[in-house]
Amino acid sequence: MSKDNHELIQTMFPPDGSGVKPYEWMINPTRQRQWIDKQGIFLWLAFFFTEIGAGLYFVSMFYEYKAGLVLGWLIALFLGGLIHVAYLGNPLRAWRMIMRPNTSELSRGIWVIGAFAALGFLQMVTSGGFNIVFNVIMAILCLIIISHGFTTMNVIRALPAWSSNMVLPFSIVSGVWVGQQILQLMFAITGSADLVSGMEVWAEIFFFAYFLCLVLYGWGTWHANEIGQASIKMMVNDELKIITLIGVLGLAIVLPLIFTLIMWGGQTNGFVIFLRLASIFAGDLAVRYIIMKSAVYKPLLERN
Amino acid sequence: MPRWGMVIDVKRCIACWGCTIACKEEHFLPPGVFWNRVLIGERGKYPSSSKLIYPILCNHCSDAACVEACPTGATYVREDGIVAIDDEKCVGCRACLVSCPYQQRTYYDKEVKDREYFPGQGKTEMELIGEKLYPFTLGTVIKCNFCTERLEDGMKKGQTPGVDEDATPACVNMCPVDARVFGDLDDPNSKINRMIMEHKGKQLRPEFGTEPAVYYID
Ligand code: SF4
Ligand code: SF4
Repeated sequence: MSKDNHELIQTMFPPDGSGVKPYEWMINPTRQRQWIDKQGIFLWLAFFFTEIGAGLYFVSMFYEYKAGLVLGWLIALFLGGLIHVAYLGNPLRAWRMIMRPNTSELSRGIWVIGAFAALGFLQMVTSGGFNIVFNVIMAILCLIIISHGFTTMNVIRALPAWSSNMVLPFSIVSGVWVGQQILQLMFAITGSADLVSGMEVWAEIFFFAYFLCLVLYGWGTWHANEIGQASIKMMVNDELKIITLIGVLGLAIVLPLIFTLIMWGGQTNGFVIFLRLASIFAGDLAVRYIIMKSAVYKPLLERN
Repeated sequence: MPRWGMVIDVKRCIACWGCTIACKEEHFLPPGVFWNRVLIGERGKYPSSSKLIYPILCNHCSDAACVEACPTGATYVREDGIVAIDDEKCVGCRACLVSCPYQQRTYYDKEVKDREYFPGQGKTEMELIGEKLYPFTLGTVIKCNFCTERLEDGMKKGQTPGVDEDATPACVNMCPVDARVFGDLDDPNSKINRMIMEHKGKQLRPEFGTEPAVYYID
């Protein structure tokens, strides 16, 4: 094959499969690409950071811990927000996304994040910021933001793997779990031993809730329909197999379980808390990655 | 106000890809970008299997998932039923693209823009002219527009879409076996409506719930 011919074939049918032959388009279950491949990777990171930032803010409110509030606010808005904008094809027009809150989940999310930014700032700078009214409003905003990424995915009817009823509970538990772990590490660093060991009971609960949500998500998606099954098969076969094994099973489940057992009964240790946070951080990213990567569309032609 | 739609008689289609090429030519679409495809699949198992040939395009759905998902209002349904994209408003979030169960949209980025029909040899005159005559905006989403320009220009001249060639989508004009018929779905006497009624026209995958304006006779 001549070099030019080779390049032509690479252009039309790139090795990542995105150049499917025109007559085979959507005749088999077809993976969604826009929200995970290439520039789509930004969206995966943006959802993650926005959600764990809001999770940290949420948990910090229960301890009236301003440093946690500030860090959560900054992670959600600046890390999550800026990566969101970097993902857009025309970032300078991002303001237009406020236009359709009545129908678009993305648009609703922008409004909620705007309210979180403004009210969160007020809560942080006012001396009586931790009053009940502020706390309740901010808690609601945090929970909406924690689940925003997955809600955006959940409403996409075309991708059955994202329509599982477990998507929203999972997203809330994962955002709060990672946020709680960041806060526990912050307390460990600042030497608040009582708080650290008190938080361990919650860490155990969140870990098991997270594990349960993951199992139910997989089970529910598998039993939903054959397209859901195609998604689950993709997670355990193909190129996602390694990420599922190391990232999901190893880093999101087995290692945190081991670290949690080591500290069972409140015998906490700063270094082990750090290791557990690193593990669930990478593990949660892996879980989100495979959920986004393995969502498939139903074929357009009926086979039977 | 008419509501434009299309009927495709798959029993007539010979899979010549004339519609695919006519569409690419009409809109100067870069390599790998298709607003019209002819799908080839099969139904059943040997020995009672049959070949399926389905020309597909954007269905200009009346309950379009893409319209619902768009956070800026860049994707909208016009009064005449055509689902259009205002590239001045599009932020390139691709919510529409991910939401379309028929996967009829393409994200137009630099990689797509830079593709050459003869890689390594630079763009041909045709490709360069196309970029001037039919420019797309980088970082936005593109898709079939039912040849809006042809429809509008033709109607300005008093012509009727679906009847007069100059006012009819290029894919319909090109089809050598008249498998495609274009017309007004709201006119009970239009050819398209009569065909849908007489041959029990069906939408592709009606269970997606988006109410396509493209019907199939099989
Ligand atoms: S086929 Fe897809 S892109 Fe076209 S109108 Fe329907 S939902 Fe939108
Ligand atoms: S990519 Fe453009 S047209 Fe599509 S949903 Fe986003 S703003 Fe709307």
